[in-house]
Amino acid sequence: MGNPIDLLQGTLDMLILKAVSLGPLHGYGVLLRIQQISGEQLEIQQGSLYPALYRLEHQGLIASEWGESDNKRKAKFYSLTAAGRRELHSETEKWNRMASLIASILHTTSEEL
Amino acid sequence: MRLFARLRSWMKSIVKRALLETAMEAEVRFHIESYAEDLVRSGVREEEAMRRARIEFGGIESHKSAMRASLGLRWWDELWIDLRYAARKLHKSPGFALTAVLVLAIGIGVNVTAFSFFNMVVLKLMPVHDPDSLVRLQRRSPEIITPVVPYPTVVFYREHARTLSAVMAMMGARMEIESDVQPVKADFVTVNYFRELGSLAACGRLLDPARDDASDAVPVVVLSFGFWQRRFGADPSIVGRVIRLNKKTATVIGVTSNTFSSLGGQYPDIWLPITEQPYFVDGSKVLTDTSGGNVEMWGRLAPGMTAKMAEQELLALTNELRKQYPKDIWDHEFIKSDPAGHIQVIKPEMYQVMAMVSTLTLLILAVACANLGGLLLARGVQREREIGIRFAIGASKARIFRQLFTESLLLALLGAVAGLIAGYFVLRVTLPRFEAPAWTSAAPDWRVILFAVGMALAAAIFFGLAPAWQIAWRRQRQRKTIARQVLVGAQVAASCVLLIVAGLLVRAVHHVMFTDPGFGYEQVLSIDPGIGSHGYTPAAAQSFLNELQNRLRALPGVTSVSLVKVSLLGHSISRMGTDIGGHPVDVYPNWVTPEFFQTMDIPLLRGRSLLAGEKNAVIVSESLARQQWPGEDPIGKQFWQKDTVVGVAGNAHINAVNDGDTVEVYWAAQAEDMPGMTLLVKTAGAPEGLPAMVKPIAESIDPKLFPEIYLLKAAFHQNVLNFELAAAAVSMLGIAAALLAAMGLLGLVVYTVSERTKEIAIRIALGAKPAHVLSAILRQFVWPIAIGLLTGVAGTAALSQVLRKVLFGVSNLDPLSYAGAMGVLLMIATAAALLPARQALRVDPMRALRCD
Repeated sequence: MGNPIDLLQGTLDMLILKAVSLGPLHGYGVLLRIQQISGEQLEIQQGSLYPALYRLEHQGLIASEWGESDNKRKAKFYSLTAAGRRELHSETEKWNRMASLIASILHTTSEEL
Repeated sequence: MRLFARLRSWMKSIVKRALLETAMEAEVRFHIESYAEDLVRSGVREEEAMRRARIEFGGIESHKSAMRASLGLRWWDELWIDLRYAARKLHKSPGFALTAVLVLAIGIGVNVTAFSFFNMVVLKLMPVHDPDSLVRLQRRSPEIITPVVPYPTVVFYREHARTLSAVMAMMGARMEIESDVQPVKADFVTVNYFRELGSLAACGRLLDPARDDASDAVPVVVLSFGFWQRRFGADPSIVGRVIRLNKKTATVIGVTSNTFSSLGGQYPDIWLPITEQPYFVDGSKVLTDTSGGNVEMWGRLAPGMTAKMAEQELLALTNELRKQYPKDIWDHEFIKSDPAGHIQVIKPEMYQVMAMVSTLTLLILAVACANLGGLLLARGVQREREIGIRFAIGASKARIFRQLFTESLLLALLGAVAGLIAGYFVLRVTLPRFEAPAWTSAAPDWRVILFAVGMALAAAIFFGLAPAWQIAWRRQRQRKTIARQVLVGAQVAASCVLLIVAGLLVRAVHHVMFTDPGFGYEQVLSIDPGIGSHGYTPAAAQSFLNELQNRLRALPGVTSVSLVKVSLLGHSISRMGTDIGGHPVDVYPNWVTPEFFQTMDIPLLRGRSLLAGEKNAVIVSESLARQQWPGEDPIGKQFWQKDTVVGVAGNAHINAVNDGDTVEVYWAAQAEDMPGMTLLVKTAGAPEGLPAMVKPIAESIDPKLFPEIYLLKAAFHQNVLNFELAAAAVSMLGIAAALLAAMGLLGLVVYTVSERTKEIAIRIALGAKPAHVLSAILRQFVWPIAIGLLTGVAGTAALSQVLRKVLFGVSNLDPLSYAGAMGVLLMIATAAALLPARQALRVDPMRALRCD
């Protein structure tokens, strides 16, 4: 396990959508899941998760509901809405295109020019 | 879609704010405690785990504030903070707050009142069934406009028009009830009238096509709510009672509801089926006569039909009618359809009046805003310390600007509330004067409230934006002076316009009260015997009128009797538009007997009077002769091709008293005009006793007549009274504007002087002459005032053309009004500038210099 990577600007929203798309989660759960699926490689400032969650809910991309957590406490669970699913889909596509484009640029060698 | 989601989320957060705050708190706590638990599980000590969880989470309050910002609550929260701060600030300086709200209440209140009237007339629909599809149908040709059509044509249109689902006819009349002296206003209507309007009865029933249209139906009458109360003391047993109208019996079947709204803004005392008209008016041919117009026509568009489609179909039907009655249908006759669902049918010329009124009222608001702008600028100087401190502790310019503007907004909204209240009271007082129907109300509806809020926003932008900008961005001194000069100039210009218009109107009232109108009305009585509606033939009418004239001449004190076709200062007027030398001119025609000029004291300036029944001869008014044949002798000239001018009469705008631009044309009344003639009787002394003597004479010649008698004097005064009220209202506005301008100027001069006290003190200490110092301070106001005055004068001169029609012949460029307004403003401005400046000269130089 190497050094944790700082999150790229503007990608937190996408990661939250992805995390929530796998099943309803409370805020702390979102944090855990992102860290888990990134193989503990991503460092997210804990507090800054919440403004992002609120922003996404404000935009109607995720919805929230109070429920009971694993440790038998009341917690607010977030789940993906239909609009959120569409957004995640289009963002993923955009990201993939961007990533492959950047990758191909970075792989360019002088012979290929 | 996203926008909608945001809006919904935003509304939810605002409405359930407390819930949101506790939820945020709970969520954050849950996160920290869950993390701490996980840390404990991995072997960290409990207190240490809690501490680390908190630290790693970061600043709770700043995250919470970011969460609120995510929900779009930030500006909302800041708005509340600003509003609370503004309220506290205003509370601390009640003098300023009160002045500002008062100034705004005047500015906004005047506009709200004007808009309320506009709303009532143009925007509000009547509380009747489907008001949008109601139309008024007017008979027209390129030359003639008339509100009335023959009844048989109404029947024809009703039977054949597919674009109209209903056609209604209405005919106004005056009738004698029981043996009262006072006649009642009656409307003969088609029996579908109430059903089409969806009206309900207060008691009994209203006219019903199924029961009241049969040829053997008993004569019935419907009473208006007001008349039932006044005449019958709201007697609940009125339904079924038989009353006498025009000495004929009729059964009362019901009373309309208090809030009944009638078509065309006409509110008669009683309604009767039009098919019963000949029963009440002996000899009437209204139902069969196709030659003259008698009834007003209204319709309801069939579903899906437009007014245009109806007009097209009615044109085709009119052409069809021409085949049946070739003599009675005019060339190019057509039917014009106008929306009729409002309190009044809207005429195009009303828009001109509205534009005029709204210009004046907006000017008041402009003066009020310029005034407040000055006050705020001066206040900004006083608050320099406070604002400096806020800058020092890190407030941004935008934040300061927003806060200052919020203060203006709060003031403007308070002003709007005060304006709404003021408008409500003005309406409450004035509505009864206009005989507004009972369903109208002085209370503002959502449109008026929206308008007031809009006005407040506009006002806040107008008076608050510039000062807030200037204070927040701390512009250099030069700009400040320019802002001040613009404010002074705007106030002076706007109040100048208002004062000139007020002056013109006052002059016009004065003119009409104290100068000769060109005709004598003090001692003249008008008698309309109404023989035409009783089916008199021209010959019968002639002999009746001869007899009546002879008996009237025999009365003591009567000096002259004559006949006119168009009654004077009466219900209807006749007007022709024409073109003289390229200018459109309104011509008021009349058909008279030779003694007319003597009865009305209208001087014959040239030529001779008309001969009885003379054809192809015309008398024109002096101004018509002057415009048509400048510098020439009009006698013997041809007028409108077929008539020869035989005389020139003095100007007498009898039927357009307030329009100084009209001209008059007189022809000799012809034999066929006789059934429609009105008598004019002139007495040597007071005419008040005459009506009581005339009525029995007319009735003794023909007992079935109910002549309408009135004093010209009363009608004339009624005409002038409304105008006097308007002049008084505009004068009050003008004076209010001038006072506001004076206050504004005073404030600005005080402010300038206080800003420059030190400079003044130094100059005086160095031995400058007071006059020089004074002129140095005041020089900056001279140009704005001069330019303001000039703009005001030029603007009024350019725009006042529309006023000509109401100025009773006073020129819209009347020099006295202009000079007067300028004089008053100059005096006020000088006083406002000199008083505080002189005060400044008395300062003790040493004290002023030692101070701070």
